Amino acid sequence: MKNRMNLAARHLAAAWLLLLAGCGQGTAQGGLPLRIEISHVVGEAPLRLGDSYKTGAGDSWSAERLRYYLSNFRLRRADSTWFVNPQSADSSRGYFLVDEADAASKQFQIGPIPEGTYSGIEFLVGVDTARNGAGAQTGTLDPARGMFWTWNTGYIFFQFEGHSPQSSDGEHALTYHTGGGADSPARSVFLQFQTPVQVTADNSAELHLYADLSRLFDGAHALRPATMPTAMDPKASAEVADNSAGLFRIDHIHKLPKAGLAQGR
Amino acid sequence: MTAHSTPRLQVPEGWPAPRYDFAGNPVTSAGFALGRRLFYDPILSRDGSVACGSCHQQFAAFAHLDHRVSHGIGGVNGKRNTPGLFNLAWQPELMWDGSVHHLELQPVAPMSNPVEMGGSLALAVDKLRRDARYPELFAEAFGSPGVDSQRLLRALAQFTGTLVSADSRYDRFVEGKEAFTPQERDGLDLFRERCASCHREPLFTDFSYRNNGLDAAPRDAGRAVISGRDEDRGRFRVPSLRNIALTAPYMHDGRYDSLEQVLDHYSGGVQPSPTLDPSLAGGVPLSPDQRSALLIFLDTLTDESFIHDRRFAETHD
Repeated sequence: MKNRMNLAARHLAAAWLLLLAGCGQGTAQGGLPLRIEISHVVGEAPLRLGDSYKTGAGDSWSAERLRYYLSNFRLRRADSTWFVNPQSADSSRGYFLVDEADAASKQFQIGPIPEGTYSGIEFLVGVDTARNGAGAQTGTLDPARGMFWTWNTGYIFFQFEGHSPQSSDGEHALTYHTGGGADSPARSVFLQFQTPVQVTADNSAELHLYADLSRLFDGAHALRPATMPTAMDPKASAEVADNSAGLFRIDHIHKLPKAGLAQGR
Repeated sequence: MTAHSTPRLQVPEGWPAPRYDFAGNPVTSAGFALGRRLFYDPILSRDGSVACGSCHQQFAAFAHLDHRVSHGIGGVNGKRNTPGLFNLAWQPELMWDGSVHHLELQPVAPMSNPVEMGGSLALAVDKLRRDARYPELFAEAFGSPGVDSQRLLRALAQFTGTLVSADSRYDRFVEGKEAFTPQERDGLDLFRERCASCHREPLFTDFSYRNNGLDAAPRDAGRAVISGRDEDRGRFRVPSLRNIALTAPYMHDGRYDSLEQVLDHYSGGVQPSPTLDPSLAGGVPLSPDQRSALLIFLDTLTDESFIHDRRFAETHD
């Protein structure tokens, strides 16, 4: 709850909506929220904006900006049924805008989660087609946040901007944006828990996700700054979208007692 | 209807259901008035010099008379011809290339385009928040204090979505209220035979994207920029022909000043290319009589009551 409040305080315009969503959360289904923390890494080392890294192919790259949407969270139960994280048509509840430059955006919670045993988590890198086409939105989905294409209407799902000496762009820029309307570049990610997670009346969990940016270049597709300095059109951004889904892994999960949740962090 | 009443979206007899759903954005008199004020207010542009209404003029059915392409801040030219604004609630996608798929989100495109209003949604919201008058108008329109982008865009949609043009002489003929002259009737028959497969009644467009053979090698890739598909190269949205006599110049790049030139193009100037619409292969040959009949018929699509409706005017009282 405190995490939500921080978010609301930073974005006054959406504050009352988030508060409404937050207040409804405790009573809707009971259960505790699940906390998610995201770290951006390169291999095992923390990503630092502006630092230079090397791809498997020997290209150098640095990141200046990294932002993306995560949404449509689901938790898989041991019996193969799903808990679907609630999203509301009237607010941006359930849609998270992660920004490397904004520490608060890398910690959020989903739920409330019904008591039970869970074996994995699924989410979308991006915004689902229905919400992407649903008109003017608020909160994290406010198009004024700049994660929105104006020339091909729709959210920017994943935004990586940086530099590479190998980039064929005049200023050696690297600009990878996925998003837009038709042929959705939103990608679904499923991560299996190594040991099942128990959510009880007294205990929830914190999932620590790593998003490994080395896999943006050395992923399902090998991306070379010399041949692809920019990806913004629907065709090129499909490869970036595929790779963006491969960034994520679970680093560790720890138990989070109810008392810890109430205190926040 | 008086100048003071608020338009509501009424579906004319025989028209399909609108694509924009006002259920999520109910039109109110304060909301409509706010949308109209915003439409005509250059505050939405970066330097306060260009309003939506600068290029969308009511007397031209909200197109830009005599301008081949839009004119933006600092006197720069845009890339494409300003389209007329009417019956937008029925359009599944907007802009010449269909790049905008929701009426509420359309204004973000010209507001952010450096060759149009040159600003951004965030900048406009910020300016409106600090304005002496707008916070109060937003509160009146939406029932609680707060200026945000959703309210800005929804207010604009209350104005643009209720711009309905359905009272032309053609409409009154179809309703049986007025008779056509023999030449108008000939023109309608010919139109239905030769033109209506793309310019489908009653909206006079089938909302498809087609290459109508303007260039053998299209300079503007059009729909392909949005879809990423080669077969969409040189394709543009089939525009409605309602109010067509008012919305010169014509085509996505405004290359033709008159409807005579447009008919010249279709009858003898269609350029072959790999993406040329098959229905236009060989052009649409027209005799001099057929040309006159078509031009006379196209005049019946002018909706005088729409362009003189004071509710849509900048000075409305």
